Amino acid sequence: MSPLATVLRRVVGLGAAVLLSSFAVFLVPFVSPGDPVRALLRARMDIGEADEATVQAYAEQFGLHDPMLVQFGRWLGRFFTGDMGLSHISGTPVADQVLPAIGVTLSLAGGTLLVAILVSIVLGVVSATRAGQWPDRLITSMTHAFIAIPEYALAPLLVLLFAVRFSLLPSAGYDSPASLVLPVFILALRPISFFTVAVRSGVRQALDSEHVLAARARGLGRTQALMRHVVPHGLLPLWTMVGVWFAGLLGGSVIVEVIFAIPGMGRLIFDAIINGDIPVAQGGVVVVVTCAVLVTGIIDLVHKLSDPNVRIGVRHG
Amino acid sequence: MKLGRLSAAAGFAALALALAACSSTSASSAPEKAADPEARVVVANFRAPISNWALESDDAYVLSIAGCLETLAKYDQGTKTVEPMLATSWKQSSDTEWDFELRKNVEFQDGTIMDAKAVTASLNHVLKATAPARAVNPKTIKKVEALDADTVRVTTPAADPLLPYRMASVNAGVLSPAAYTETGIDPMNHCTGPFAPVSEKAGQSLTLDRNENYWDGDVKLAGGEIRYITEGATRATQVQTGEADISMSIPATSLAALEADKQISVLKADSPRTSTLYLNNSRAPFDNVDLRKAVTMALDLPAMAASVYEGAAQPATGPFAPSEPWANPDLGVPQVNIEEAKKLVEASGYKQEKPLEIIAITERAEFAGVGAIIQEQFKQIGLKANVVTKSYGAVEPDVLAGKYDMILSQRNRMIDIADPIGFLQADYSCEGGYNLSHYCNKDYDELINQALVEKDEAKRHDLYRQAGDILAEDAVNVWLVNEQAIDGVGSKVQGYVQDPLTRYVLTKDLAKIK
Repeated sequence: MSPLATVLRRVVGLGAAVLLSSFAVFLVPFVSPGDPVRALLRARMDIGEADEATVQAYAEQFGLHDPMLVQFGRWLGRFFTGDMGLSHISGTPVADQVLPAIGVTLSLAGGTLLVAILVSIVLGVVSATRAGQWPDRLITSMTHAFIAIPEYALAPLLVLLFAVRFSLLPSAGYDSPASLVLPVFILALRPISFFTVAVRSGVRQALDSEHVLAARARGLGRTQALMRHVVPHGLLPLWTMVGVWFAGLLGGSVIVEVIFAIPGMGRLIFDAIINGDIPVAQGGVVVVVTCAVLVTGIIDLVHKLSDPNVRIGVRHG
Repeated sequence: MKLGRLSAAAGFAALALALAACSSTSASSAPEKAADPEARVVVANFRAPISNWALESDDAYVLSIAGCLETLAKYDQGTKTVEPMLATSWKQSSDTEWDFELRKNVEFQDGTIMDAKAVTASLNHVLKATAPARAVNPKTIKKVEALDADTVRVTTPAADPLLPYRMASVNAGVLSPAAYTETGIDPMNHCTGPFAPVSEKAGQSLTLDRNENYWDGDVKLAGGEIRYITEGATRATQVQTGEADISMSIPATSLAALEADKQISVLKADSPRTSTLYLNNSRAPFDNVDLRKAVTMALDLPAMAASVYEGAAQPATGPFAPSEPWANPDLGVPQVNIEEAKKLVEASGYKQEKPLEIIAITERAEFAGVGAIIQEQFKQIGLKANVVTKSYGAVEPDVLAGKYDMILSQRNRMIDIADPIGFLQADYSCEGGYNLSHYCNKDYDELINQALVEKDEAKRHDLYRQAGDILAEDAVNVWLVNEQAIDGVGSKVQGYVQDPLTRYVLTKDLAKIK
């Protein structure tokens, strides 16, 4: 496939993903029990009481009485002109809420993945090169435990230890690198366990591959062989997983964002859906999907560049 | 409901006095040390602004606790009276007209003068909102106009003795004309209060500096920060670590940890919220008063307050908290009387064919536990019930339409104004817009209609008390526990006065030692 065709295919895929996911979000209030207009009013004023005239006036102002497809079409028309619409609760442009939140989440997800990648490479390589020995068994047990510990249980424990007991880290907020340490650590545990398994498996395969055996036979040292042939090859399965986890972290870190009072994307989309603020939910989803597809594309590229066979091919091509 | 027993009355009078004493508590840590004029106080607030600072929304509360937004009048929690603030006085020039004399030489933080024109524009902005405020809306206020530079006339559609209370609502806050922009409200340096907002981190916090020209004298702090932390446990941790000086609305689950910390004062005050088991009075079986009385007798409210609420709530005596001036001090906590309850169930003639349904709303996590206790205690009087958890938004249409048996929910009695008339009218009158219990009693409605136009405060409170007695006598609902407002305050803070209605935190008298 030509590079142009690849790019076009990506763009079409991005458009389809944005449309489908935003339509899915759009459907939520229509299929949920309860009155979405009253939910909007409840979000503005903490009370169930809202008289019918107010409900009607509010629905009228935002065109919420129109048929579902008309409302979706209106959003689509705006979107193609670069306008994500106005929040039904604040009346402000959706972009004003979404763009700061995506910045926060990108830093959180980026930090999480960086930590997870670095730690898992070390653990995975040690585990693979010491397969069956005690370091391997210890690392395997640890990573299994990481998967099993829920974030909502671990977060209070770490806050109690590092913020309350030893005053080493802030307990919440998003105003300094230190405030990201605990959230990043908690979010990184699961990817660390999955990445470590992937790296271990990749490195094990690479260790047994013919070209590594051949390199060793040519007199290449164990460490050199590991660094030049085994690790790069062993990391290939990791990059695909990184892309998937990145997409997940963009909208899926709600619990950590709530506990640590981080004004990120997960919390923004979650609150918007609960409050029935569909333009904000849609804008958030569009940005998350776009970022996810772009990052997946970049990861694909990294994947290809990381493949020694591809690189050899390029050199000799 | 048992009334008039001397010992019970004495006991509850003592309880009421005790609660009244703590209804407006203050932290006065380290009074011997001098306040630091350069100190800044960090407040962990449970509410985040979401409506672009629209004053008709709950965002007004954030500006008020921040020491920015002020109103013409102010309800004093200590004296239980409406007192002057930006207005020095007011008089009722006719049944429907109130004239407010503005305080002279008050400047907005942007340097412009607060005059009648500015106040009128501010109030009219709220009145014209699509979703108007509960206390200040076209149904309660017909017109606001400037009579002269220092006098504002507020006209009501009908006689309304509570108009000064409405002008004390945070939704009636006054901002400089420059605050009203094409893109919404900009509060930065546009208030009259002791603190001027100078910057905001979206979704995180509002930073404020001392207003050097504050009309009410010197401000002790150099500034402050309001952090938006919606998670209760996180707010509790913030005051424990010293990251926040004051944490508002501490959840019951964090209470023990804070009370064990000597560096923190835990302040409690009766909040105007009562957790309630709403009974659907409009259909069987709870259209029968005997059955409603039976379920009231079956529930052990002190045990519920001690267990589920971990002592952070008081068992309810009726629709009002005992510390409120209109509460009947003779009403006691309903006593458990299983035998009597069984007789009432029998007398009601109710033959249970299928379990009743108790809806526990998910917005309040503790209701699942409360529902389970109620389910067990109902069994003792021969009633079967199932507890289902659902979000309030999902069940609201059915509840408003009268298609339910019981729902566990809670309600703020003093919605925006420090008076329960709106609650009593909306929640229990025959035509009430939020009458979840679908209760209708002409005698009750008559009392409420009298209260609506009663100018004498003592008489009005007496009418509220009588109305409350009717609700209790008819066992309309089971009022379970009176919730408490709980704040955690660091030991360096001085002069903090807890406001159970969560309107004032950063005040000119708040201080901090080094």
